[in-house]
Amino acid sequence: MTRRISKTKQFIMMNPIIQFFKFIYLSLKVLVIVAGGHGGTR
Amino acid sequence: MSKIVILGAGISGHVAASHLRRKLAKEHQVVVVSPNSSYQWIPSNIWVGIGRMQPEQTKFPLKPLYKKKGIEFKQAKVTTFHPEGDAETEAPFVTIEYVAEKAGQTEKVTYDYLINATGPKLNFEATEGLKPGTNGVYSVCTYSHADHSWKALEQAIAKMKKGVKQKIVIGTGHAKATCQGAAFEYILNVEQELRRHKVRDMAEITWLSNEYQLGDFGMDGMLLSYGSNILKSAEMVEMIFEDRGIKWILGAGVTKIEAGLAHYENLDGEYKTEPFDFAMLIPSFSGHGFKAYDKKGVDITDKLFKGFMLVDADYTPKPYEEWKVQDWPETYQNPHYENIFAPGIAFAPPHGISKPRKSKNGTDITPAPPRTGMPSGITAKLVADNLIDKIKGKHKTLHHKGSMGNMGAACIASAGFGITKGSGVSITTYPIVPDFEKYPDSHGRKLGQTFGDIGLAGHWLKLALHYAFLYKAKMKPFWWLIPE
Ligand SMILES: Cc1cc2nc3c(=O)[nH]c(=O)nc-3n(C[C@H](O)[C@H](O)[C@H](O)COP(=O)(O)OP(=O)(O)OC[C@H]3O[C@@H](n4cnc5c(N)ncnc54)[C@H](O)[C@@H]3O)c2cc1C
Repeated sequence: MTRRISKTKQFIMMNPIIQFFKFIYLSLKVLVIVAGGHGGTR
Repeated sequence: MSKIVILGAGISGHVAASHLRRKLAKEHQVVVVSPNSSYQWIPSNIWVGIGRMQPEQTKFPLKPLYKKKGIEFKQAKVTTFHPEGDAETEAPFVTIEYVAEKAGQTEKVTYDYLINATGPKLNFEATEGLKPGTNGVYSVCTYSHADHSWKALEQAIAKMKKGVKQKIVIGTGHAKATCQGAAFEYILNVEQELRRHKVRDMAEITWLSNEYQLGDFGMDGMLLSYGSNILKSAEMVEMIFEDRGIKWILGAGVTKIEAGLAHYENLDGEYKTEPFDFAMLIPSFSGHGFKAYDKKGVDITDKLFKGFMLVDADYTPKPYEEWKVQDWPETYQNPHYENIFAPGIAFAPPHGISKPRKSKNGTDITPAPPRTGMPSGITAKLVADNLIDKIKGKHKTLHHKGSMGNMGAACIASAGFGITKGSGVSITTYPIVPDFEKYPDSHGRKLGQTFGDIGLAGHWLKLALHYAFLYKAKMKPFWWLIPE
């Protein structure tokens, strides 16, 4: 195994408090994609 | 009164049926024909395949729900299409063959509108020896396959606990397979489970895929916003695989599986083998091989199908450099019969998304274009909305449009299960099919809306989606507020 994700980054990725806010952010981001709608291209 | 017949009760068929039923008056008939007795949330198969979810948690029976909501359900499979009727039947119809209770009985089901949402045929036969449960190779494409896969993985874990090293191979089982995302989720979940069982050092894990580069996912790869950086999906996946000690073999078209041995041809034209103790390889997807006949009984299959169902796409063969988003369908209407539609995986794509590649021997080794849950749901809803407007007389033309070249998708790939130890790779893309004219500097996609993230929040999001989409599928109060 080659460490490619630093310990600090790992901590951020797995810290429940930081990740709680990330969860809200990601949910909103996904909603923006959905709300962005869809349409034709022609 | 109109009669709408929907073939298939997967993501797209069920989405179409539920919206049609909600918005159309009871005088209009909504009929669903599907061989499965249950609705299943396929994305959670990954967790069934590692023993962290029971199949029952991913499915529910359709019959009672449809009865309650006024949707007619026929547990059967469609066999032939007759879009002009026949000598005895004036109206267009499909022939169905019942399974379960009425097994073997056939019926002509007439319709005013037909929605073909039969998804893909899991074409295990296209690769010799790939049949799940034989030769040490498994699948997670259905809940029963995934459950079977877990039983085999559990045995491999038990062997590792006894000190026997195991070789695990996960990826694609055909040169033109798609759905790399599901295999990607599975390999990361398996890797995390081995750590949880404290046997990670006893296993060699290898990604075996028909992709030219890691992170291609059948979507030609992506350029992603990742934190404050811009990263290629290939770099992101490489980082994850290296960090987790996963090896990879790319450009591999698996040709044959023998007990514990995968035979493949690579892009250099070499014929190689990869041994394994446990493997999960996604098969190629194909059309179901349906036949269609005109009023006189003449075979008109090529008016309806090109493998999958023909829709309003531009199927003119052209080289990769000339592919355009405009080639992709917008209304999913069959060009020959205006009352037939095919959303989700059931429609024939105009071409791939990933750049086609051939081996030195001339074998095509390229991922087929994926159609994930979100576009399957969106295309089904827009087909339903067009029919609703048409039936209610609001619009004569199909004004709801949704090309995959003008639609975003969120792919939340599980990277390990657990409320505090889980992880997910969240990727969003806009548009799904790259638009190189609109976004020439960012590989055809809009940066910002095409982004990646890794962490525990991704797992929570995937779990939240599991519960939200099952709630929606069960048509519980205000289900329609949850987007597709
Ligand atoms: C393991 C796995 C994990 C996945 N994970 C994700 C994910 O995380 N996110 C995501 O967005 N997508 C994911 N996908 C993709 C997603 O599941 C598909 O995009 C989606 O299921 C396609 O919906 P569909 O309705 O077009 O086809 P299907 O869901 O395949 O439904 C087809 C329906 O047609 C029925 N049918 C078949 N033959 C006949 C016949 N002859 N007559 C009548 N009915 C018939 C079937 O029984 C079924 O009900 C995953 C796929 C797999 C295999």
